[in-house]
Amino acid sequence: MASLELKGVRKAFGSTPVLDDVSLTLESREFIAFLGPSGSGKSTLLRIIAGLETADAGEVWLEGRRIDRLPPGDRGVAMVFQHYALYPHMSVRENMAFGLKNARVSKDEIERRIADAAAVLEIDPLLERKPGQLSGGQRQRVAIGRALVKEPKLFLLDEPLSNLDAALRLRTRVELAQLKQRVDAAVIMVTHDQAEAMTLADRVIVMNDRRIQQVGPPMEIYTRPANTFVAQFVGSPAMTLSPASLVQGEGEFAALTLGDGTLVETRVPRTSLPAGELRIGLRPEAVRVARSGAKAKVELVERLGERTLIYARLADGQPITAEDSGNSRVRIGDEVSLKIEGASAHVFDAEGAGYHRAES
Amino acid sequence: MSGTRDWRGLLFVAPFVLLYGLILVFPLLRGLWLSLNQVDLFGAGHFVGAANYARLARDPIFAASLMNTFEVTLMIVPVLTVLALALALALNRATKGAAIFRGIFFSSAVLSVTIVTLIWRFVLAPDAGLLGDLWTALGWTPLPFLSDAHLALPALALTTVWWSMGFPMLLFLAGLQQVPEDMYEAAALDNASRWTTLWRITVPALRRTIVLVVMLQTAAQLQMFGQSQLLTAGGPSGASRTAVLFLFETAFAQWQLGYASAAAEVLFLIILAVTVTQYWATGRATAQGK
Amino acid sequence: MARGRLTPLGWALLVIGAAIMLAPLVWTLLLSLKNNAALVGHSEAALHGPYTLENYAAIFGNSLTTRWLLNSIIVSLGTTAGVLVITSLAGYGFARLDFPFRRTLFVIVLLGLAVPSQAVILPQHQLFAWLHLHNSYPGLMLPGLVAPFGVFFMTTYMRGIPIELDEAAMLDGASRWTIFWRVILPLTIPAQSTLAVFTFLGSWNDYWWPLISATRSDMYTLTVGLAAAQMNYAQTSGLGYLMAQAVFASIPIFIVYIVFQKQIVRAMAGTNVR
Repeated sequence: MASLELKGVRKAFGSTPVLDDVSLTLESREFIAFLGPSGSGKSTLLRIIAGLETADAGEVWLEGRRIDRLPPGDRGVAMVFQHYALYPHMSVRENMAFGLKNARVSKDEIERRIADAAAVLEIDPLLERKPGQLSGGQRQRVAIGRALVKEPKLFLLDEPLSNLDAALRLRTRVELAQLKQRVDAAVIMVTHDQAEAMTLADRVIVMNDRRIQQVGPPMEIYTRPANTFVAQFVGSPAMTLSPASLVQGEGEFAALTLGDGTLVETRVPRTSLPAGELRIGLRPEAVRVARSGAKAKVELVERLGERTLIYARLADGQPITAEDSGNSRVRIGDEVSLKIEGASAHVFDAEGAGYHRAES
Repeated sequence: MSGTRDWRGLLFVAPFVLLYGLILVFPLLRGLWLSLNQVDLFGAGHFVGAANYARLARDPIFAASLMNTFEVTLMIVPVLTVLALALALALNRATKGAAIFRGIFFSSAVLSVTIVTLIWRFVLAPDAGLLGDLWTALGWTPLPFLSDAHLALPALALTTVWWSMGFPMLLFLAGLQQVPEDMYEAAALDNASRWTTLWRITVPALRRTIVLVVMLQTAAQLQMFGQSQLLTAGGPSGASRTAVLFLFETAFAQWQLGYASAAAEVLFLIILAVTVTQYWATGRATAQGK
Repeated sequence: MARGRLTPLGWALLVIGAAIMLAPLVWTLLLSLKNNAALVGHSEAALHGPYTLENYAAIFGNSLTTRWLLNSIIVSLGTTAGVLVITSLAGYGFARLDFPFRRTLFVIVLLGLAVPSQAVILPQHQLFAWLHLHNSYPGLMLPGLVAPFGVFFMTTYMRGIPIELDEAAMLDGASRWTIFWRVILPLTIPAQSTLAVFTFLGSWNDYWWPLISATRSDMYTLTVGLAAAQMNYAQTSGLGYLMAQAVFASIPIFIVYIVFQKQIVRAMAGTNVR
């Protein structure tokens, strides 16, 4: 049975539309990421599921029950806010007990749940403190604990890693992954950071411009982006998109030429491509500095240690991003040759839809 | 958060709104109505239209009371503002001494008008008062503050300035603490003298507070009542009767409720006009200056 | 903090100013400590001994003054409690809830700030006469409950509380009332204490309304009673006693001032416009 179902959700704030006919289905115990830039509607969608906003149209179902008409407290949903929203005047224990008290859970049960959650999150010594006395990371664990004790059917996480510094972010990512194993519930995480989404989620829902752009497991999003937005939003540095023309011929797969004449032999079935303008998509790892290949002038070099990123321009002026080994000798201004791995190339049509190598 | 428009929210504001409607809005409207009637003690009145207002316009006692009110306000507000500002400037430091002085200058502000007038009656009274005793000791004849027509209003002004020092001083102190340090440092680097710093940096920075103090005090002193009633009973012969005392006497001594209501409306309008003018005038100055 | 040191002239002026501020208070105190007969015609006798506490004893023996004190306490405490309750409720309603006419009502309440008390006192007097509320505690307290500034103050303060707390509480299954009572209200305690001090002071020192509403001398508040005593001075016990009453009336207010100094100063800083 699906745990969460959204059907045709629409929302506008005044005359500004924010969500446009959003539908999706979550399986039980899935960890889903809503990924998208700000303004894409992902936070609004989360708040509609939580009950903090009401959709103008559409339905929300959770485990077979329709919840979009219910108050937030009755939905069986728990949320961890971006800035934690812990009650400043209550101790950690009281923060965690608040929701359960409102639901009239028995005292013993409350104690038990708090003890369990505190043990899991390692916040036992903090139970009697107030949020003002805690560090940022501790506060977040308390916020998670507050959600855990409610034993909800669905966890909602609003940008859980944005507030944390880099070291804490990695540690928390690990904790969230562990959490995923422990709870018998679905988790929805909202983020604008594609690395977070890729590493934690079972499936990623990419949103932009009020609509869902693509739904799928992280690797599928990465290797088979449905359109140019997804292609460029996921993956860092971004995929190179370059205008290309289809070479006429009879082969099974399409071959295209770039603006500077370079031939790229893709594994994209020729017949799947529509007529009209096309663009080629190349991830940096598919473009390598070599002894021969397309000529390009280097504009920027980023040495990352394990690899080097080369930002260059082809003969016709089109920018292209390439990779080289970590100890590359390339410098700004150099003329390099780039070998393009056609098998990994993607093709995008005039509307931006993506075409990829046939699955084997 | 877009909540549903839920009438239950009204339940929270209802207690206040209901009381407000009953005790403020209704009387406000009723007062207007009363002013258009000739009413006596028992509320039985008959409609006379604008007759009360016409009568007010011709009433020399009302006119005199208005003049007195304006005069005493003019005597008080500038002096009070300058003194409070000077005090705030002098006492805006973290020393214990400054704290003690601040406490002293604020202490009078917590007293009620009846205590203050009681105290000052026996400071100003020529026969039993402190000043009277002092003057006599120095060989001068004591000034008859409370019984001389030319001294009555100054007496009210003096009492009120003594009484009202505290709050403006606090407001200025708070305002001073919000002036950013770097302005002073920049001035010091520019070799500004203390006087220049005062005039060109501090006072302009306090502009909003000064305006606030002037507006609040003007509105307050235009409504002066207790000092007038208790210190001088408005005398001698109405020389120190304020507009509100006129209102009080007309309503509760002569029981002419309609007439008094008209006077109340006139006073209300005057205060409103003065406040709005002050606000507008300082707004214009801000747009042109600075 | 102030720049530079104060010149000797500045110090001298300050000291003179302080003396002027304190002299009337000291004078009053001295007068209160003298036997009445000794002061008749010779008020300068206050400047030297002998001093006595007989006037204060007389106050406590006089049931009327202590009755006035009791009235002031009841009315001021009652008004303060009432104001805190209804302005908190209204503040929460305006700050957090959405209901029909919310904006209109708020504007109407704000407009009340501009209305001086004289504009409404006569009709209020009439109204309370019809309701038979004069010379009663409720009658003395009710006008004080109508505090547009209090509503404005509480609304503004509550608006400053992050709305995420409300949202978290909603997800915690809390009703609107529970959110108000257990989440928002505890967070407004600083505002409550400031508003309480100001309301108490204003109510205690109020001369205008109790003068008009309380016509029986046993229902006077201390402030009004003192004025009546002042007017009867010629016929009553005397200057020393009168001044003792003044001192007696000041003591509660000075206590409140000293205890709540922080709230008062903080409120001034808050209302100041940048």
